[in-house]
Amino acid sequence: MITLSSYLAISFALFVCGIAVMIARKNIIAILLGIELILNSAALNFAAYTRFVNHNLDGHIMSLFIIVIAAAEAAVGLAIVIRFFQIRESIHIDDATQLLQ
Amino acid sequence: MFDNFLFLSSASLTIVGALAVVLAPNLMHACTYLLTALVGVSGLYVTLSADFLAATQLVVYVGGVVILMLFAIMLTGGNDNKSVNKFGIEKVAPMGNAKTFTLAGFSAFVMALVILKIIANVNKATPKAEMAPYETTVERIGELLITDHVLAFEISSVLLLGALIGAALIARPRRREQ
Amino acid sequence: MMNDNVVSFFSDSPPYQMLNEKLSWLLNFDTSGMLTFVIYFVAAFVIVNVMALVGGLGTYAERKISADLQMRQGPNRVGPFGLLQFLADGVKMIMKEDIIPKTSDKYLFFIAPILCMVGVFATLAVLPFSSGFTLTHLNIGVFYVLGVSSLVGVGIFLGGYSSNSKWSMLGGMRGASQIISYEVPVTLSIIAMVLLGGGLNFKTIVGAQGGMPHEWFIFHNPFTIISFVVFFIGMLAETNRAPFDLPEAESELVSGYHTEFTGMRFAFFALAEYVEVFVVCGVAAALYLGGYQVPFGLSSMEVLHTKIGLPMAPAKMIGQFLEIGGFVTKTVLLYYVVIWIRWTLPRLRVDQLMTLCWKYLTPIALFNLVGVAVWIYLFNGESMWNLVFKTGAAAAGHH
Repeated sequence: MITLSSYLAISFALFVCGIAVMIARKNIIAILLGIELILNSAALNFAAYTRFVNHNLDGHIMSLFIIVIAAAEAAVGLAIVIRFFQIRESIHIDDATQLLQ
Repeated sequence: MFDNFLFLSSASLTIVGALAVVLAPNLMHACTYLLTALVGVSGLYVTLSADFLAATQLVVYVGGVVILMLFAIMLTGGNDNKSVNKFGIEKVAPMGNAKTFTLAGFSAFVMALVILKIIANVNKATPKAEMAPYETTVERIGELLITDHVLAFEISSVLLLGALIGAALIARPRRREQ
Repeated sequence: MMNDNVVSFFSDSPPYQMLNEKLSWLLNFDTSGMLTFVIYFVAAFVIVNVMALVGGLGTYAERKISADLQMRQGPNRVGPFGLLQFLADGVKMIMKEDIIPKTSDKYLFFIAPILCMVGVFATLAVLPFSSGFTLTHLNIGVFYVLGVSSLVGVGIFLGGYSSNSKWSMLGGMRGASQIISYEVPVTLSIIAMVLLGGGLNFKTIVGAQGGMPHEWFIFHNPFTIISFVVFFIGMLAETNRAPFDLPEAESELVSGYHTEFTGMRFAFFALAEYVEVFVVCGVAAALYLGGYQVPFGLSSMEVLHTKIGLPMAPAKMIGQFLEIGGFVTKTVLLYYVVIWIRWTLPRLRVDQLMTLCWKYLTPIALFNLVGVAVWIYLFNGESMWNLVFKTGAAAAGHH
């Protein structure tokens, strides 16, 4: 029997894995992978609620915009990572601790 | 019966992919596991009868974000052997050590306690209503985007333009002052 | 409302219902789910095998047509007219030693050809062979094809990266950037056709066209002709076919991203490419050339059943086979043009390729989209032939 809670459990698992990736990894691009997982869990949540509770497709629109914004944010984030690599020659998160170098 | 099968396979793809992203020591492999997790989420959208959303997930994430990540990994040193650059810093960042993983595990445990309690309350609260039969969402989403949500639609197009220009500007090659 | 699919086509017929009743009585539970699974399995099995055959015959066709263009014979020893050459090639590839470079990334080396194959074969589920025999008429069919064929780009990139050699890496990066760049004009052209057809469903778009050439979408208005040219060039680049085959060029990169793949793994890459060309030609035929519509309405029940007087069930089957024949004919014609272009034009350099995409094809595709939308608004969706006929009829009526 597939209920709303099963989708919420999957969304929770994605969210926890995303947070674990963000805390555990020291590579900036790996942290961006974690951010993608978290955004996906939120979008899945919206879509699940539309199917089971809401029925008027506003949740699907929200998920669409989450996907769009996640793509734009990945592009800008990776551009920043590439610039950081051009300057500091490293993508270790501990090297990104200073505002002025 | 097919519904259950699709849900189980997509859910297992998603969760296994997400766990593998946490635990994989190699960055390129972690990207591939993210691809698996995203395809799994697309399958879950199909079980929720959100067909347009599933196709959008495939087009944007699989065809765009994952390839972007792979290119960025390639342009920032890739995954080659460890070496030390001229600042004395390790060139390829390690993927975490024991301290960070125990911290991550502990925070995951704390979050599990909080969130599972909320989900358990949801399970008691939502009435077991009749699920609507499948109907295609493409036309309806098209109408909603132009009538109810047109402001968000237009602003997101401006945002994408800004992201395009910003990314190209930030990462452009600079002339080296020798 | 559920999607139309092969099962709904068969489930209206009496033999299916009889079989369902007998099996339910025999096995004591409702067997419609099981029969659905069996029908899907058989249909998918048939389509995948036929496509694998098409992939093999594509290599044979390429060698014969290139030989014809270069005034030589081509394969003519193995079987009549050399038709079994692809089987001999297949046996040779299976028996080759599987060499994996020592410093390669074994996991990525293993999955790169599989990703290419999965990306291509998953698009076969919505390819509109006919109005009944398509595996499923998804309501998001066109969008699904675009999404799933992006997996090929990931596969090419991982293949180039995992070989751990400079030539492969260059080939992989060029291939992936070519694919993601040419997705933009291709998607814009497809959207123009979706505007005309009125939905993302292949059945809707093909249904909005007719059998005769003046009812096809390619001749609907001047903008769609340009749109077809843009789509065709873009699809040549998406499938890494010449003159855009820099990622796998023999004289430039020692065979590019699939240099290090031997035997069956290389066969996967090659098969994926040939089947992808067929799929892309099929999509072009469905969107622009009228898909499975046959002239004079020969495949519809009105003509076959009422006018010619055939009984119901054979009339349905004959109509479906006529439609499949129409679709395959148009696709094979486009396939011939693709092979012809390969052996006629020289290869493009990588900066010429990127210039063509971003500076020429994308603005043209954008203006096309706006042009088609303006045409639909001004003339209420009528094609230019209808307008000419109407003014002609009005002028004749006046006199």
